[in-house]
Amino acid sequence: MFDPKTRILIVDDMLSMRKMIIKMCKDMGYTDLIGAEDGDKAWEEIQKAEQPFGLVISDWNMPNCTGLDLLKRVRADAKFNKTPFLMLTAEAEGHQVAAAVTSGVDGYVVKPFAQTGLSEKMAAVHKKRAS
Amino acid sequence: MNVVGTQLDNRYIVNEYNKYTILRLGGELNDAQAEQYLKEALPKIISSSFDLIINCEYLTKLSQSWLHALGATEQSIRKNNKGLRLILVRDDIKLLLVDKGLSRVLQVNTNLRDALLSLELVGKKSLDVGFINPFLDATLTVLKIQAQIGANAGKIYIRKDSSELSGDISGVIGLVSDSFSGNVIITFPEKTFLAMMSKMHGEEYTEINKENADGASELTNMIFGQAKITLNEQGYGIKTALPSLIVGKSHRFSGNKVELIVVVPFESELGNFFVEICLSDN
Repeated sequence: MFDPKTRILIVDDMLSMRKMIIKMCKDMGYTDLIGAEDGDKAWEEIQKAEQPFGLVISDWNMPNCTGLDLLKRVRADAKFNKTPFLMLTAEAEGHQVAAAVTSGVDGYVVKPFAQTGLSEKMAAVHKKRAS
Repeated sequence: MNVVGTQLDNRYIVNEYNKYTILRLGGELNDAQAEQYLKEALPKIISSSFDLIINCEYLTKLSQSWLHALGATEQSIRKNNKGLRLILVRDDIKLLLVDKGLSRVLQVNTNLRDALLSLELVGKKSLDVGFINPFLDATLTVLKIQAQIGANAGKIYIRKDSSELSGDISGVIGLVSDSFSGNVIITFPEKTFLAMMSKMHGEEYTEINKENADGASELTNMIFGQAKITLNEQGYGIKTALPSLIVGKSHRFSGNKVELIVVVPFESELGNFFVEICLSDN
């Protein structure tokens, strides 16, 4: 599992969902949690961060810059392209999963999800990155 | 990686519902499957004495052996004085049916709602339980998984006043298909909503504000997404839509002219709330 000090960026246009994910991460023991309301804001946070993010948890459907757009930007930049990336969506369609996998997503969480489900996905991403 | 979705590749599935049977065909079905279908599935379909709806959403090719199998199915259904409809059929398959002289016996409807109306299994101003139950199940599932909140559905009723909603905050999402439209509204009294958001966010709220309000549309979005998967497996052909929010005491909803409003009241450990399914004139 990720170290509790891991810096996590949580991206969702719904404030309520960001708060829910932040609560779940806090309950798992994580303390360094930053929220962003869309892919553009998240990209700004990633670029300006003095301490790099150890994980991005991003919604798929967002205005301005979607989760997939953000993932592509992260993967295209040599400085950030190793950042673990977990995608969230309300409806996991086959073509969405295929597009995210092609763009280098590390894992996929379908809403609704419980804290245990998110924790398992995060552990799987960590294991994949560690191997 | 698990994929939740409705893809049906090179398989057929038969499901029996309240008043009808749905046969789902997917991909390219082979001759051996047609033989197996005639031997094993068709006798069961006939014995149910229900109307048959064939969902072709994921069907990409119809071979000669399957044209024969569907023709035999139609004959058997007709002998039982029951009806058969094809729904969500691709244009090239529609043309094939015309070409083979089968378009009159294998009647095509746009989606499940149209087929049920055409078979007179529902009236224009009514909804089949198969349409309502997925919203009921999705509501209970979303609250249980996302918020660890237990709830029970009460007695469903029809509401005539189309504008005034039962709660103080509502998430609204469009119910759009090729032949019908409407809205799904999840409406919460303030007390219930604040208790739910306090639990979900781990913060104590005393008023509805920008810190918690969009939780109503997020819950509506998740409930709609879950229900849509089940409804589209049946063949309703519902499209993706984005949620919106209405806030205020005794707030009103102004949509298209509403034909029907089905209200499902829920009682949860944190208070009551309502799911309203509205169908409009298209």
